[in-house]
Amino acid sequence: MNGFNGFLRNDYLGLVVRLAVGIIFVYASIDKIAQPGQFARIVYNYHLLPGELVNLMAIIMPWIELFCGAFLILGIYKEGSVLILNVLVLVFIVAVGVNLFRGVDLECGCFTVSSKAKGAVLGLLIRDIGLLILTIYLFFNRSRRFCLIKTRG
Amino acid sequence: MMIKQALIVIAFSAAVAVCSNLISGSGIPFVGNWPSVSGSDTVAVPPSADEGDPPFISLDEAAAKFQLRDGVFIDARDPEDYEYGRIKGALNLPYDYLEDYWDEIVPDLSKDKQYIIYCSGTECELSLFLARDLVYNGFEKVFIFYGGWREWERAKLPTEGG
Repeated sequence: MNGFNGFLRNDYLGLVVRLAVGIIFVYASIDKIAQPGQFARIVYNYHLLPGELVNLMAIIMPWIELFCGAFLILGIYKEGSVLILNVLVLVFIVAVGVNLFRGVDLECGCFTVSSKAKGAVLGLLIRDIGLLILTIYLFFNRSRRFCLIKTRG
Repeated sequence: MMIKQALIVIAFSAAVAVCSNLISGSGIPFVGNWPSVSGSDTVAVPPSADEGDPPFISLDEAAAKFQLRDGVFIDARDPEDYEYGRIKGALNLPYDYLEDYWDEIVPDLSKDKQYIIYCSGTECELSLFLARDLVYNGFEKVFIFYGGWREWERAKLPTEGG
């Protein structure tokens, strides 16, 4: 068990995963922030939200991705950001999973709002699950060694 | 503590998002008009459609173009129908009286823009005929929203007139 605990507490692994996840989310947010209208269309096409909430979601979610990603990179509010990202990735997985079940040809809206970026839905699901493994690792890795704000709270 | 942090991050992000959406030139309405009817992503195509006709689009695609101001809607029905109720902002180019309207409307239309042509709904083919005429006259970005007025109104999307 010592090895597993060491794996969870490893400062360097924690840092690498933190930076990787942070960069992924910052990168993913940029195109969506630049083109909220296009992103709203993609959110709508998931057919999971009431029409009235589609635009609000499209306006706010990319900024949450941006700040969580940036805070993760810097090590500010790390625990809170990691919690949000875990929830977000779970939401992505449910959203993609439901549409995989429905057999809908989906525009991901993951990294770009270009309508050319249609991927195989199963591939998206696998990618999201990979991301979830990283965010769950961060959830249990409580290292603060390279964080800008080291105090709890 | 973790939850408190998360709430702070969400509140902060939401505040920045709202401000940025208000200031930014690419901002969108906070509450959008998206159709909430089932089947809105299916594309209706008239039986008389040929290969080479302009593309047909679904209610979803029409609503997206409307919201993104990604094109001009053109109503191919008679002026009385148009006056009675139309897609908000649509122009009227009645196919049955085309010679009376063409010279007044068409020369002002930019060929770089997208045009979404509609009529009553799946019982009417004026949109198809008008779209063919526009393409024949050099308009390249022409779409047919064959679900038309009926689908638009049923989805309670923005209308005017009446």
